[in-house]
Amino acid sequence: MRRQSAVVGIGQTKYKRARDDLSLEGLVREAAHRAVEDAGITLADVDAFVIGKAPDALEGVMMPELSLADALGAIGKPIHRVHTAGSVGAATAISGSIMIESGRYDRVLVLCYEKQSEGNATWALSGGRSGGQGAGGTFAPWIRSYIQRSGAPEHIGWKVAVKDRRHALRNPNAHLRIDDISIEKVKESPMLWDPLHFLESCPSSDGAAAIVLGNEEVATKGPNPPAWVVAHAKRSELSSFPGRDTVKPQAGIDCARALFEEAGITRPLEQIDCAELYVPFSWYEPMWLEGHEITPGGDGWKLTDSGATELGGSFPINPSGGVLSSNPIGASGLIRCLEAANQVRGTAGDYQVDGARVALGHAYGGAAQYFAMWIVSSERQPTF
Amino acid sequence: MAMDRPVAVVAVAQTPSYRRYDDGEPVLIMTCVNDLLARTGLARDEIGFTVAGSCDYLSGMPFAFVQNLDGMGAWPPIYESHVEMDAAWALAEAYLRLQLGDVDVALVVGSGKSSPGRPREVFSLQTDPYLMAPLGIDPPSLAGLQARTLVDAGTATERDFAEVVARSRRAALDNPNAQVKQEVSVDDLLAAPYFAAPLRAHDLPPISDGAAALIVAAGDRAAELAQRPAWVHGLDHRIESHHPGLRDLTASPSTALAAEHAGVHDGPIDVAEVMACFSPEELVLRAALGLDDGATEVNPSGGPLAGNPMMATGLVRVIEVAQRIFDGEAGRGVAHASSGPCLQQNLVCVLTGERTMSAERA
Amino acid sequence: MVLASRRANSCPSATPKRTGPPAPQRPPGAAVAGVERNVFYFAWMCAAEPAGLNKSEATLELPYSRSTGPVVGAFLTGLRDGRIVGARCGDRVLCPPLEYDPETAAPLDGEMVEVGPGGTVGAWTWVAEPTRKHPFPHPFAFALITLDGADTPLVHAIDAGSPDAMSTGMRVAAQFGADRHGAITDLWFVPEAEAANQDITPGDEPVTVTEHLISLQIRERLYPHRIRFAEGLRRGEIIGQRSPASGKVFVPARGYDNLERVTMSEADDVVVADRGAVSAFTVITPVEYYGQKETEPYIRASILLDGTDQAIMGVDLRDIPVSDMRVGLRLQAEWRPSAERDVSGLDNRWGGAWESVIERWEPTGEPDVDPRQLQDYAF
Repeated sequence: MRRQSAVVGIGQTKYKRARDDLSLEGLVREAAHRAVEDAGITLADVDAFVIGKAPDALEGVMMPELSLADALGAIGKPIHRVHTAGSVGAATAISGSIMIESGRYDRVLVLCYEKQSEGNATWALSGGRSGGQGAGGTFAPWIRSYIQRSGAPEHIGWKVAVKDRRHALRNPNAHLRIDDISIEKVKESPMLWDPLHFLESCPSSDGAAAIVLGNEEVATKGPNPPAWVVAHAKRSELSSFPGRDTVKPQAGIDCARALFEEAGITRPLEQIDCAELYVPFSWYEPMWLEGHEITPGGDGWKLTDSGATELGGSFPINPSGGVLSSNPIGASGLIRCLEAANQVRGTAGDYQVDGARVALGHAYGGAAQYFAMWIVSSERQPTF
Repeated sequence: MAMDRPVAVVAVAQTPSYRRYDDGEPVLIMTCVNDLLARTGLARDEIGFTVAGSCDYLSGMPFAFVQNLDGMGAWPPIYESHVEMDAAWALAEAYLRLQLGDVDVALVVGSGKSSPGRPREVFSLQTDPYLMAPLGIDPPSLAGLQARTLVDAGTATERDFAEVVARSRRAALDNPNAQVKQEVSVDDLLAAPYFAAPLRAHDLPPISDGAAALIVAAGDRAAELAQRPAWVHGLDHRIESHHPGLRDLTASPSTALAAEHAGVHDGPIDVAEVMACFSPEELVLRAALGLDDGATEVNPSGGPLAGNPMMATGLVRVIEVAQRIFDGEAGRGVAHASSGPCLQQNLVCVLTGERTMSAERA
Repeated sequence: MVLASRRANSCPSATPKRTGPPAPQRPPGAAVAGVERNVFYFAWMCAAEPAGLNKSEATLELPYSRSTGPVVGAFLTGLRDGRIVGARCGDRVLCPPLEYDPETAAPLDGEMVEVGPGGTVGAWTWVAEPTRKHPFPHPFAFALITLDGADTPLVHAIDAGSPDAMSTGMRVAAQFGADRHGAITDLWFVPEAEAANQDITPGDEPVTVTEHLISLQIRERLYPHRIRFAEGLRRGEIIGQRSPASGKVFVPARGYDNLERVTMSEADDVVVADRGAVSAFTVITPVEYYGQKETEPYIRASILLDGTDQAIMGVDLRDIPVSDMRVGLRLQAEWRPSAERDVSGLDNRWGGAWESVIERWEPTGEPDVDPRQLQDYAF
């Protein structure tokens, strides 16, 4: 008999270029303690743990669940570690949800982090080789292709970059806080990977994020209202093969279809109140709107252009500031999932979307080939 | 707590353990996946969930796991996930996923090539990054420490270690996939010089490249796919402290705890495959699992001392038990996998030939 | 996804100073006399030495700067200053110190207690064949050492000279290196009777960062299809493979068709055209990072060679003005003179080694290929 899971506790560290005040253990404990405190429990009440993180070479610690288990109080308990590239944070949230839904565990701590200031993220993303193109260099040609296919005007990317950083100013945990962010400032920032400017790209952040997931009995006992996990989906495809559409990957389409079907969503723009989408480079906002069939093909940029995706608009995207404002790589996908939960719990503070009842958390990774998403709601089974 | 949905291993595949495989991990995986699909007659899209275990650092490159998808048939897109661990933990993920009721069939894949790198150097990176890894402390040295504690405590002798090795190599003669196989006498082994005293080089596992995969299915679907499925009676995993000084290295309490929760003691154990990568570990694990030396055959495959395709080794233990259940040689078996220094983390899986409801978990 | 490295490429050395006799010469592969000469398990010590030229070598190397936090920081500051400290945990002293009680994970208040420099050996092992990463190039012991005043042991190395000098329960004492960095490698241990008195000048600032250089060598034989690809490049040919299942042409070959899940062999090799059309490109502004050799912006393109079904990627173009670049641009490879084609950098993972065999890609002047035909061939 399948149980239902809910987010019953949320904890995040402040995201910064370098958390040089903490060890790795200190970093994960900060998020873990905040999450269990938010859930009204202690680490001792957690039945099982799951860690999510991007490549070990980012910190130079292999299989870190082994050297972090003590710090999390996981001794004597199950712990494992998920690794699905950039999508890992959301994949781990889903893994944790499955652990609850299976009926095996009542309370699961999901923890994702990155302390990438200790190594070098570009080096790692370049496979440790000279001349690497990193993530931006891989996506830039596909972004150009989207712009050509859709006929989108060049300012769309700049607009997203400004919007997400303005949202971040309302999020006390966000890394980038650019008070005077503007279209001009973005446009004039140096070109990194044509057509992406510096300020259209995500920062490199240190940080950890954690959630406590509980089953139906646990969910009603905590100090905060639960964010019920209504549906989740993952899809993956090969990174490279003849005839691959890298701009609108099939795995992204399939993932969203599976997700919406499970949630009973037929008109996502109307039925979802807000979305935390994994947008590490500005143009991915319109690309995922289309890539997940939230808008019809070719119309993603129009929604962005209309202002609808701003806080206060009809479909706010990344009210937390998104990946463009904070990017500890292994945690970013979980942050999307937990910020969606914050919204439907009403605990998003200054970046709260009024009356948010249903929210989407999303992440992608690799060569835009891994997708992991969930829908959370203030209701166990929201009807539309 | 609710009873688990019955899940069984219905097909298994593994490559031999190669000293060095001169092609990529995806090819090793592809071999196994194609074998499983042919064996079961399943179409690729009839597998509802795929989950893999592998390790980027072992492969020598960040994101190395991504290319492994090439072997798994990830087009059209599939529902899949990946753990940066031995694939036995991927099996744990698959088992839980099947509990939800909407997916009936899952594919679990493990792979690793240890030959290109230097495992002693790679695996030292698993240790505490501040106070252990910079010393380069490596698995054989850590195993040597554990061996010393056993000898000092009077729990085991060097002869006991050599007997494990001799048994392993003899058993491996019957295993076409094993890498190290021979008749060797304990006295000859004991004449060899020390490597990580009190361990000798033969107390260490070989360097291996290889892959393994299996298909698990739930309920009636399992019965459709295999004549004699190997039903999962229980599966559990636990971890101990990372710090060797805070542990009792003569025992494996996490294995004992996992064994209890996996229902090892709910019936007799005909066969046990334990992931003893160093010979003393077998002795520790036998005790932790409470195995009856007389009644239980331990590591009839030869175990990891005969072939150690890391990140698949634990899954291979499940495969070896499942195969013996398929063949009717065993009615009930336990498979064990471990991760981390000196058996820090342990997974125990009990398989049976009889479809009984799995034990209610405490 | 980092914008700029915050560190220059140089880093302080993290290797410890070693005292003691020089390492004995060891022939590669064989380590100690044994019952068998079968060397496979000895390769726990060193990677296989592939014979011949068809090998691929890579080094995965990066210096890491780890922030220590207050507890490990206090411990490493102590080491830098010639002292060893542990953390008080109730009525116990933990050494190495932890930020939390290991039984409960509850935070500790950070009180540090000096321990050692003498201690007692619990378990030990004699490392007969040290790796390059070990504290000594000559045989030594790793051990669990309980420092005087501590209740838990730490793992460290003992330079005892011979395994005959080792025993469980023996007394050892810490020795500090002359060149200390605030790292666990600042000290080692010797039998107590051999310990020298040391006059250590403490440092000024607390240690908050510890450096760890990780350097791994990957050595393997080039896969058979990569060898053939390399030989083709030397001949001035680009070798792909045509799938026996679908007829699609993959280049460079991976030895399999990942769509049909079939392996491919030499029988499937085909020489493909060395001309085609740009299917994707970007201009990369090099980011400084460890090992980065690029300094000036350059174009990186994918090119769909005529008659193939998969673009070649990672083609760096330095001779075509960015203003001339577009998807659909037709290019022809201009090969380097035969004697100058260098495939030594080819490995099993990355695409071509295009620049080292092809001098430049010349626009042919023909009409562009329609970009819409290329949009699914970018990667």
